[in-house]
Amino acid sequence: MREMIKMVLVLTILSSFSGGLLAALKNGTQEKIEYQELQNVKGPAIEKILEGCENDPIVDRFKVADGEQERSFFVGIFDGKPKSIAFETYGKGFAGKVGVIVGVNLEDGSMLGAQVTTHNETPGVGSKAQDDPSFVSQFANKTVTDSFGVKPDGGNIDAIAGATITSRGVCMAVTEAGEIYKRLKPEIVKQLEKFNK
Amino acid sequence: MAKSIAYEFGKGLWKEIPPFRLVLGLCPVLAVTTSLQNGVGMGLATTFVLVCSNILVSMLRKVIPSKVRIACFIIIIATFVTVVELLMQAYAYTLYLQLGIFIPLIVVNCLVLGRAEAFAYKNPIIHSLSDGLGMGIGFTLSLGALGAVREIIGSGELLGYSVFGSSFKPFTFLIEAPGAFVCLGLMLAIMNLASKK
Amino acid sequence: MIKQKKLIVSHAPFIHNGSKISIKNYHIMLAALPALLAGIYYYGIQAVGVIGLSISFSVFWELAFNLIAKSEKRIGDGSSAVIGVVFAMMLPATAPWWIILIGTFVAIIIGREIFGGIGSNPFNPAVLGIAIIALSWKEYFDFNQALINFDMDFNMFYPLAALKSFGASSISSISVFDLMLGKQAGAIGAVFGIGIIIGGLYLIAKGIIRWEICFSFIAGIFLTSMTFAMFAPTTYAGPFFHLFTGYTLLGIFFLSPEDSSSPVNKMPMILYGLGCGILTILIRNIGVYADGILYAILIMNIINPLIDKIKPKAFGKV
Repeated sequence: MREMIKMVLVLTILSSFSGGLLAALKNGTQEKIEYQELQNVKGPAIEKILEGCENDPIVDRFKVADGEQERSFFVGIFDGKPKSIAFETYGKGFAGKVGVIVGVNLEDGSMLGAQVTTHNETPGVGSKAQDDPSFVSQFANKTVTDSFGVKPDGGNIDAIAGATITSRGVCMAVTEAGEIYKRLKPEIVKQLEKFNK
Repeated sequence: MAKSIAYEFGKGLWKEIPPFRLVLGLCPVLAVTTSLQNGVGMGLATTFVLVCSNILVSMLRKVIPSKVRIACFIIIIATFVTVVELLMQAYAYTLYLQLGIFIPLIVVNCLVLGRAEAFAYKNPIIHSLSDGLGMGIGFTLSLGALGAVREIIGSGELLGYSVFGSSFKPFTFLIEAPGAFVCLGLMLAIMNLASKK
Repeated sequence: MIKQKKLIVSHAPFIHNGSKISIKNYHIMLAALPALLAGIYYYGIQAVGVIGLSISFSVFWELAFNLIAKSEKRIGDGSSAVIGVVFAMMLPATAPWWIILIGTFVAIIIGREIFGGIGSNPFNPAVLGIAIIALSWKEYFDFNQALINFDMDFNMFYPLAALKSFGASSISSISVFDLMLGKQAGAIGAVFGIGIIIGGLYLIAKGIIRWEICFSFIAGIFLTSMTFAMFAPTTYAGPFFHLFTGYTLLGIFFLSPEDSSSPVNKMPMILYGLGCGILTILIRNIGVYADGILYAILIMNIINPLIDKIKPKAFGKV
């Protein structure tokens, strides 16, 4: 009986100590982590897409509810007006999800560009989707609401040599971006008025 | 019973160097050693967990009842792994992205649990500390070595710098998972050959 | 170091005709000769260089391993040379020397020596070597690209790649007879179908390879490709096209019946051959790769110990 109580006691104390420590640490690092995440993962991609904007898109962001999800949109201000937004979607790659940020010009629905953010693809093969600008540059100036596919599947995008599955994932993500854009456009426009100074 | 502290530290560096001699903790060894940086980063994270959990387990070895010792070890290890994960997210975000799922998986790394069970639970604190440190550094060195070999031959680069120039055609097989097995096996063979003489 | 291997008696049946390993290996090299000569005729002196390098590197790696591991030196029995020959047959004539060096390293050391040398390899070493280097350096194994500088009197392209990208209509102009004569782009020893068949029949007649494997392999290819061609004749090619393109004939007569990686009982041999043939066509028709022979054989090599357990029940045993 004594042993039993001791076992329960030790485990309880150990777990609560561990829980307390982690909770404190989590609170302490939360802000830093969120900032790091935006800065490192999406920052470079957003900067490339919204090149030449007058604001800091990571600061000027808003969230829109899409079904059960919340999506973040980053605003790019050109000539004093919030003309463009950038947001992230996901496609299925060779090894897990491939995150793609798509920038859209609100006036005509054309894409400013697409950039791959997070991926677990094979270095040197699938990772070219992120490193090789010639692949993602194919999306620039196309209409976002179109559907995209790689050429072997009868689509309109040249796949990366040796990484058809990754390329397909990117195309999937961009196609989905078009659907999200169609679905949420009224809400986005409403939100953007806040930035219209 | 206890041998000298220097011995406990030194054995992890050659005589019982973890992946090659104990053949423990192979999951991260194979999965994250696609480059030198990833290997060393993973090794350092594991070292931190190893040292901390060894100290704590050794401190509490008189208190922890032997029937629930594994559960206690896991709680201790999991706590430190989460600490590493949060810290890495906050301060070394790019490395965190590279290592991804394998950081939380340190919890189930046989090496950490194995040292807690086989060594720290039976030995005084200082010995456990030096054992953990030695093992951790040995682990880091092996991961770094494996990562460096795979990065140099498999992608022709080291830490992002080209080693052989642009005419070099990398042996991409070594970057893939089966290449990790072959590379590890060959290194093990070379090590056995070297220590036999 | 274990100097003498324990005598391990495997289960029946045993096949013995009084031959030695070295004689068997020289027969295989002789059988490879017609196909190789045709390759040399088509691709010239470059092909001779590739074949020579491949054989010498193979023997070199075995000798090097024997010296390091201090094991018995047995390069004289020609088994490494045979791997070198078969390896060279699967290379394009333009393969650079370092690809051959690394490929034979994978074949001899990783494919065979670390498993215990001759007779202990779970995979066909040459297939393993080619599969790994073809995975790493795709551009050298794209036969259209690699052989672009050869000017022949026939239409020089790799039929399987054409089939993969443009469907069956693109290959309808090729006659089977041209393919058999080697009028296609491909590896040194894989283009001249008639030569490989002559070599294969010679080996079967000598009892070095088993007809069960070869014929069930062909049957597997025929069954599967005919099924595919029946349902969608515009996308999938017929059985004869598959038989005479890529590594198919090489796979049937030289790769799949390799001693230690193929079964020894009759029923398992037939299953093994059928499996190779079916997988080949499945990979070619619905997989990503243009030629499925290598992966089909490697997969069946892995399954081999399992299917080799199927053996006849002793008479009267319940």
